[in-house]
Amino acid sequence: MHELSIAYDICRITEEHVGAGELASVLEVGVEVGVNAGLEIDSLEFCLEALLGAPPFGQAVPKIERLDGDELRVTYVEVEDGSP
Amino acid sequence: MAVRRIDVREKVMARNNELAAEVRGRLAAHRIPSLNLVSSPGSGKTSLLEQTLDALGDRIRMAVVTGDVQTQNDADRLAARTDRLVQAVVTGGACHMDARQISTALDEIDLAETDLVFVENVGNLVCPASWDLGEDAKVVIFSVTEGEDKPLKYPKMFEQSDYCVINKIDLLPYLPFDMDRAVACAREVNPNLRFFHTSALTGEGMEEWYEFLATLAGIGQGAMG
Repeated sequence: MHELSIAYDICRITEEHVGAGELASVLEVGVEVGVNAGLEIDSLEFCLEALLGAPPFGQAVPKIERLDGDELRVTYVEVEDGSP
Repeated sequence: MAVRRIDVREKVMARNNELAAEVRGRLAAHRIPSLNLVSSPGSGKTSLLEQTLDALGDRIRMAVVTGDVQTQNDADRLAARTDRLVQAVVTGGACHMDARQISTALDEIDLAETDLVFVENVGNLVCPASWDLGEDAKVVIFSVTEGEDKPLKYPKMFEQSDYCVINKIDLLPYLPFDMDRAVACAREVNPNLRFFHTSALTGEGMEEWYEFLATLAGIGQGAMG
């Protein structure tokens, strides 16, 4: 039920690590979600796709790894670094 | 196109948990115990608190933070029972309360003049289990108009709670509710739960709840009259 607020938190954490001006260069956000984390994982993925695919993000996609337990964390962010 | 990977490894709930720790620290500094009341909608959280404020209000200085998706009706009901501040949090659609809301509410409460803090969470047996509010304990309230197997259906909330109030026991003569089975289901999920059997309407069973709160608030049985 609260997947959207969790998705916003994931975007906030992404911004803290990448910088507000660089969000358009984010390509992928890695998230680990436990099956007992109290989340509907498909719904979380849907929310993340909607948020990461729109400004201030550009083309980012979520990469969700399902785990046992109740873990819920952002594991990595991939960005296009501008070099050829 | 070169791709750079930034290691993050940050728990999504970390920010909330930091704020919950801050709340816990502020309350501990004032030696104020705190209870987070959680339940499905309509189990009687507000009625339980109304009776509690009536019964103990002259002995225990209680502060209440209520959470509702819309309206501050519960806060208004409770404010009618106490001269003390009742803080209303309207979550505006959110299915839970978070630690930031509690921290902000505590800013408005005179902690030096408070013995006990209640949070009346949003009526929802799922989502509030995921948010630590900085409380000492969760109290799950479960009424006899609900199914006996509710603890098995919503185990996380019952696992995380230390206390279980089974409310509306005045209705037992009219319902096929099997109390033994309800308690067994709850114990199956959490063997350490302490139970209270209450009717916030008639007052039946409320004395044990009041004694518990008085002891928690450091007032002790002797002062309970």
